[in-house]
Amino acid sequence: MLRYGQALSAQKSIYSLPVTLAEREGLFRREGIDLRIVIPVPGGADLMIAALHDDTVDVTHVATPFLVRAALAGSDAVAIAAEFNDPIYSLVARPEIARIADLKGRVVALADPGGSITYSMRKLLALHGLRESDVQVKTIDGTPARLNCLRRGGCDAVPLGQPQDLVAQAEGYRLLGVSNDAVPPYLYTVTAARRSWAAANPDLLARYVRALAASFAMIRDPQKRRPVVDAIVDITGASPAIAEGVLQLYAGKKVLPERGEIDVKGIAQVIAFMGQTGQIKAPLPDANRFVDLRYLERAGIR
Amino acid sequence: MPPAKVLALLVLVVRVSVALAGGNRDRGQDEVGPGPDEGPSYFGVVLDAAGKPVDDARVTATHRDGLAMVTRSNTAGAYKLPGFNKKFSADDVKISCAKPGYRQMRVFRHPPPRSGQVKAVETECRLQKS
Repeated sequence: MLRYGQALSAQKSIYSLPVTLAEREGLFRREGIDLRIVIPVPGGADLMIAALHDDTVDVTHVATPFLVRAALAGSDAVAIAAEFNDPIYSLVARPEIARIADLKGRVVALADPGGSITYSMRKLLALHGLRESDVQVKTIDGTPARLNCLRRGGCDAVPLGQPQDLVAQAEGYRLLGVSNDAVPPYLYTVTAARRSWAAANPDLLARYVRALAASFAMIRDPQKRRPVVDAIVDITGASPAIAEGVLQLYAGKKVLPERGEIDVKGIAQVIAFMGQTGQIKAPLPDANRFVDLRYLERAGIR
Repeated sequence: MPPAKVLALLVLVVRVSVALAGGNRDRGQDEVGPGPDEGPSYFGVVLDAAGKPVDDARVTATHRDGLAMVTRSNTAGAYKLPGFNKKFSADDVKISCAKPGYRQMRVFRHPPPRSGQVKAVETECRLQKS
């Protein structure tokens, strides 16, 4: 049995797609793995590494900044595979707002001040000549909550992930720009394990990585579109048409890894974000410290 | 630093930061809160053989399909877990409890109200020192 930690939030978001699809389609069973998804409560990205340490889970889904923060605090957790490479956050506004520059003086919702969503949106505003002080910032965690703010008129523009950005556009809201216009690619979420546990279970982890790689292949395969769309619908509650739209949006982009491979430069970029937002101080740590590529290599993935 | 100290430090840092951030708030990634698709929640108490509360026991709600939620009891022995997806029947969810130095004696699920929709399921879990 392999206990895989997942935040309750992630379980209902597009970021759970690779593992959820692998589980639904029997890709873990094919590798001889009885995968159990375990949700720690209280949960959240900031608790997932602690769940590795108190033996609640064996491996966990975690956003890269939280892995880096935990490792700098003394954890021996490392990334063993990539789950989501370079997320797309869309800045979506009320229909009458045509350009990012028109947001001056308007209410713009942002996420966690230290997080990558807020960082990328600040950069996007700056690309169009706006500083954060030029807009009225409202901090709202969660894409669904930000979409609600837009719908209820409390926000003029909000960053939204998938599928809510596509839902909003279908409702007549306007897409002003995407995070990827403003920030270089970075590694968003990974599977992490403790070095000590991983070293004792190398074959199990290699088989886990192979199952994950098969899931990424399935997501990309046009012939397998139906089960992937069904998984997105079940995970996020979106309609099949919106789920199709999500897959079209991701096609040809580096949102998802090819086979779970880790681009160490993507972690270095996260560390750079964390340094620029004051979350960690110079000298910034080497990204290789937070990665163990041996299980990917054992699975034949580089 | 010894591993036990690292773990203690990590758990302390995380717990303090969660408390400062608003207790149970699930934050950090782009999260989704409880929605209309959520089934009944699970709550109750962990007691020892003498009926005294057991704190810091691990309480697990496991669905027949293998999906599990895990929490810990507080100083009053109480625990609370959110609901699974509403398409999951509460009858397919098993509550268990564990703590080092104890073994599970019995689990008693309080019967739900005879009428109306079940919004929460109360289960008492008893541990005995081993």
